[in-house]
Amino acid sequence: MSALLEVSDVSVAFDGFKAINHLSFSIGPAELRAVIGPNGAGKTTFMDIVTGKTRPDSGQVLWGEMSRSLTRMSEARIAREGIGRKFQRPTVFEDQSVEENLVMALKAQRGPLAAMFYRRNGEDMARVAELAREIRLETHLPRIAGELSHGQKQWLEIGMLLAQEPRLLLVDEPAAGMTPDERAHTTDILKEAARTRAVVVVEHDMEFVRRLDCRVTVLHEGSVLAEGSLDHVTANQRVIDVYLGR
Amino acid sequence: MAQGFRERSFFARNPHVLIFLACLGVFTLAATLMSEAMGTGALSTSFTKILGQTLCLCLVAIAMDLVWGFCGILSLGHFAFFGLGGYMIGMWLMYERTRLIVEPSLAGAALPPTPQEISDAIAGQIFGVVGTSELPLVWSFAGSLPIQLALVVLVPGLLALVFGWLAFRSRVTGVYLSILTQAMTLALALYLFQNESGLRGNNGLSGLQNIPHAGGVSQAWISLWFLWGSALALALGYLLAAWIVSGKFGSVIRGIRDDETRVRFLGYPVEVYKLFVFTLTAVIAGIAGALYYPQAGIINPAELAPIASIYLAVWVAIGGRGRIWGAVLGAAAVSLVSNWFTGGGAPDIRLPGYTISWVNWWQVLLGLGFVLITIFAPKGLAGLVDLITQRRVPDRHGADAGPDQSALREAEEGR
Repeated sequence: MSALLEVSDVSVAFDGFKAINHLSFSIGPAELRAVIGPNGAGKTTFMDIVTGKTRPDSGQVLWGEMSRSLTRMSEARIAREGIGRKFQRPTVFEDQSVEENLVMALKAQRGPLAAMFYRRNGEDMARVAELAREIRLETHLPRIAGELSHGQKQWLEIGMLLAQEPRLLLVDEPAAGMTPDERAHTTDILKEAARTRAVVVVEHDMEFVRRLDCRVTVLHEGSVLAEGSLDHVTANQRVIDVYLGR
Repeated sequence: MAQGFRERSFFARNPHVLIFLACLGVFTLAATLMSEAMGTGALSTSFTKILGQTLCLCLVAIAMDLVWGFCGILSLGHFAFFGLGGYMIGMWLMYERTRLIVEPSLAGAALPPTPQEISDAIAGQIFGVVGTSELPLVWSFAGSLPIQLALVVLVPGLLALVFGWLAFRSRVTGVYLSILTQAMTLALALYLFQNESGLRGNNGLSGLQNIPHAGGVSQAWISLWFLWGSALALALGYLLAAWIVSGKFGSVIRGIRDDETRVRFLGYPVEVYKLFVFTLTAVIAGIAGALYYPQAGIINPAELAPIASIYLAVWVAIGGRGRIWGAVLGAAAVSLVSNWFTGGGAPDIRLPGYTISWVNWWQVLLGLGFVLITIFAPKGLAGLVDLITQRRVPDRHGADAGPDQSALREAEEGR
């Protein structure tokens, strides 16, 4: 199985602090992966590099069958290539309705003229309705997103991510601030998404990671410490040291 | 369900458009019937001109609302684009009027005048005040109305395009961008103040109210023509702005205002959108200026000073940004009240030992009003309208009227 995303030997430093240190990582086209690690391990910086927010000092980030380099592309270009990102803090457009949020995210031409002459059609609205069902917001479509609960905003953002139809989803702490029932549903959404595309989940909560039931990559001080099943990595002495303190 | 979907029409989704157009129509009709040209004389010609100018200010306020209220770019340069539009039309008005005066006087000479002689004579008339009699390069096309009309759109548009491209590409945002636009405005005004700029320095262009080839038409009628023209431009500008912000484009630019980074990660080229809005609104401002200054009669570099662009932001803030009619309301209210105060409409208040003269104190009042509105009514005058309309049945978009399942639904509330 060839990799969809291949990050090789990437380093980045901020003011001399090595946030990412010779990191290598790869993921296949239909795979679910959890990334864990203590605070400051470089999880968010890793996502910043893949999505183009941060340029690496060295190393390569290759994408897709054509192995194109992402390091020279703008954030918007990378998003159009098919990489979607969910932020740690739910960021939806609070001033606009749930429906408007989803329509904006739907896969379509992104230029200003295309947006200006865009007309809502039956096909798109059916897709929006289907997404809304999936994220349990079907009765909330006309509501202003700012009125939603924290968990609902998280879901809306996941829904917007799915609406983009990306080939790779980067999800930062999707279950933060959710009730146990909401967490279970979020797990289902992510597992379902990973059947057809690559999903990378950054998470602190071990219970959530266990429920995802997937390969786990442990980051520490900007590089990969261990990789494998959750039981495998939690049995690793170095991982235990890192999490419990030396 | 998918096949049965039909989006409601633009006017059904945006009822404010028809309401606004109706109000504008009624206003224009009333002003026409009461004008001096119609013989009633309830409104003087000069007041008709003020009304026409106010409509142009409403149009530039719409542009400001698009760029600031919707797209989040606090531009302190849009009045410069307005002024540039005025200069472009002013050049033709002045050149053509001078030509019509100069040509007959030269025709009396023994030899028919050469084009060079005519051009020199016109330049002598126009630039005598700044001590030259050569036609500057920027006046090359001043004799052609179609070209100067094109420049009304092109000059502000190109300046905005180049400036915006440089600024947005470097991701300058927020207050830094505001300072940058203000610097551009100041530089432009200072440049125009110089005689070498070729636009008559601090004298500016004058006599613009005298429309060439309309010698037989009274100012009463000309003022009415411009009132109609301004009303038409405002109506079209309002329609365009409402249409732009109503669809997905509107969603995206409001998204840019609220969280630019998030929009970028959705795949939208944020810089292109900003540049588009910045340039489009600069063009709208230029057109508004081209309609305004023939009614004002004079334009000079002081009109382009940064303070004018700040006023523009104040109008939009007072009216209520993020709503097109809010911007119109703010511009109309502030400029008419300002006219009343500074035009001697408000009686001075005599206190023992000091007289409050509103010509000077009006600015203080405006500043105070701005501060109070910013603190206590961030939605501006448009927020007051909300207070009235929300007294009616709230629009719950079809949701339950209450938390209880048995509670009344919206459909049963007599809607």
